[in-house]
Parts: sequence; C-alpha cells; structure tokens
Amino acid sequence: MSQALLVSNLLLWLAVLALAAVVYALARQIGVLHERVAPAGALIMSGGPRVGEPAPRFSGEDLSGRPVEIGGADAQGASTLLLFVSPGCPVCKALLPVVKSIAAQEGGRLRVVLASDGPLEEQRGFADEHALGALPLVVSTELGLAHRVAKLPHAVLIDAGGVVRAKGLVNTREHLESLFEAQRRGVASIQDLAAAGGVRRVG
Amino acid sequence: MIDPVVVLALRAAGAALFASAALHKLRGFAEFRVALADYQLVPWWTSGIAARALVAAECATAVLLLSPLARPTGFAAAAGLLALYGAAIAVNLLRGRRDIDCGCFGPAQRAPLGVGLVVRNALLAAVALTGLLPTVDRPLGGVDAITAAALVLALALLHAAASQLIANAPRLRSLRGPA
Repeated sequence: MSQALLVSNLLLWLAVLALAAVVYALARQIGVLHERVAPAGALIMSGGPRVGEPAPRFSGEDLSGRPVEIGGADAQGASTLLLFVSPGCPVCKALLPVVKSIAAQEGGRLRVVLASDGPLEEQRGFADEHALGALPLVVSTELGLAHRVAKLPHAVLIDAGGVVRAKGLVNTREHLESLFEAQRRGVASIQDLAAAGGVRRVG
Repeated sequence: MIDPVVVLALRAAGAALFASAALHKLRGFAEFRVALADYQLVPWWTSGIAARALVAAECATAVLLLSPLARPTGFAAAAGLLALYGAAIAVNLLRGRRDIDCGCFGPAQRAPLGVGLVVRNALLAAVALTGLLPTVDRPLGGVDAITAAALVLALALLHAAASQLIANAPRLRSLRGPA
C-alpha cells in the first residue's frame, strides 16, 4: 500500500511539474506574441518631461567646448533632436549613421545634439571613432537625469518653442522616424496613434 | 503546526527568489536605480544608496533563509521586503502613477504598476509568514528530499508563469485600446 502511494505520489509530482512547465511556456508565448504585435514605433517611456511640456533647460558645453543650450525658444527656429547614447551601447553605435543622415537631410530645420555620460576620455574616443565631427556631444549626468533616461538609445524631439514633441526608446531608423511622424501628426507616441485608431490593430 | 518538509521547500524557494531578484537588479543596476527613483519615495540623490541597500537586503535575506539557525529571521526579512515592495507599489497606485516602470522583472522586461503586483506581493509575503509557524518534529527521509525539490521547482515555474501573466496584462489592455 505504502509502495503504491509512493509511486502514485511521484507520478503526480511529475504531472504537476509538467503542467507548471506548460503553463509557463504558454504565458511566455503570449508575452512574445505581445512583443510582435506591438506597434513598431519608438516606445515611449514614462517619467521625465511629458510630450507637450517644456523641455528642462540645460546649458553647457559639448566635448570640443562649444556652448550648447537645450530647452527654451530657439532663435533660428530649428527643432532639436536630443539623442542619449553611450560608448558602451552597441545599438547606439548602429544608429549613429542614421542620425548623421537625418541631420544632413533636415539641414537648418533640425539641430541634433548627442548626450552621453561617463569618463571624458572614453567619450572623446567614442566621438573620434564615429567621426561625429559637427554633431555636438554633451557629457552630462544632469541632462540624463532631467529627462529620466532609463534605456539607451533614448531620443527626445524638442520643437523650436522648446516644447517636447515626441520621445522614446529608439532602436532602429523606423523608431527614430516615428518621432518625426508623431510630431507631424501631433500625437505623443505611435502607441497613442494606435490607440486613437490611426494604425490598424492586429487581431 | 506545519510539516518540516514544507518549511524546507519554502526556505529553498525563498532563497532562490531573492537571489534571482538581486541578480536581476545587479545586472540592470542603472535601470533599477532609475525605476526606484521614479517611485518618488526617496529623494533622487539617495536613490543610488537605496538601490544598493535593497540589493544587499535581498542577498542577506537569501543567505538567512538558507542558514538553518537564522530561519525565523530569514522568513521575517523576506515577508518584510515583500511587504515593503507591495506598499511602495500601492502608494504609487494611490497617487495615480501607474505608468512608471515597476522594476520587478529585471532589465529585460518592463511592466507598469498594477493591482496584480500588489496581490502577488501580498500572497508571497503570506507564504513567507507561514514559514514562521512551529513545525512538527519528525525525521526527514529520502522521499522528503524529492517532495521538497519538486515543490521548489513547481513553485518556481508557477511564479515565473504568474509574473509573465502580470507583465502581459497591461500589454493586452493597450491592444484592446482605451475602454
């Protein structure tokens, strides 16, 4: 009898573990499906200045000592694309050529400012390695904290009036372009657009 | 009175839970610090110290749970930490700040705050408190080892599944659109 109970118990444990594993696998699959179905735009992060609010004012110098002002009305009427990067972030490096091409395309209408944080020598090496040249690179912890940057590369699009028009985590060219799209359409993020019915939902 | 094998399994499961939580926080320490600062419970300049203190507390709890002598302290510390996290989430839910990152599932997965997380923490804290109950005195045998190991594994899988479902819930809501 005791032997039979032991065997039955072991078999039940095996069944319980198998079921628990199946439940976990199903939950995980749902998670993956959600990732696939989510709109492919810059993922907006909470925290920091909201879209429609004025960007926190910042004045400082870039690596080569040129003064950089962020926030407040721009005298030339240009928008500002503030992109938070780091030498230790491979996605940021992959994005730099895209940023340079956008900067060249937009010309005077858009000012691109890169922001990073960390030891100065490392940042200089990063700037040289990627031939950032004309793009100002600001090294400041304060700027990252003001915008509550949690994940890199993080982009903030600020209009000529100093108001945040779009922001989010940008992993690809499409994400970066979605910020300009969001500004043009006057929505906070591609997720908002989807919620408003602008993007056809899947399912 | 509870059976010692239950306590044994709870100790191992609790230690695994806190060790993995501490590991997640260390792997994405910068993200965890920002998430913690976003809770707006401590001044932002102390968030670095607070984040380190929490990771240290989690490691200490895991060690206490594993050491046979400090078992009650370990369970009390576990319940205390879980209640603290639950309270921090509840405070921000009451403030209406549900869209901040909860920082619960490690750097790979972000999830906003929700009632599900508070319930999860309350349940876990209740389980941790049952470990404080007096145990029946009986010798542990070979079958108990299998029971304890299987229980730990089953709890770990169920916890992972529940966490995944809690993280999925807000995504499902956003797909359905504004109600």
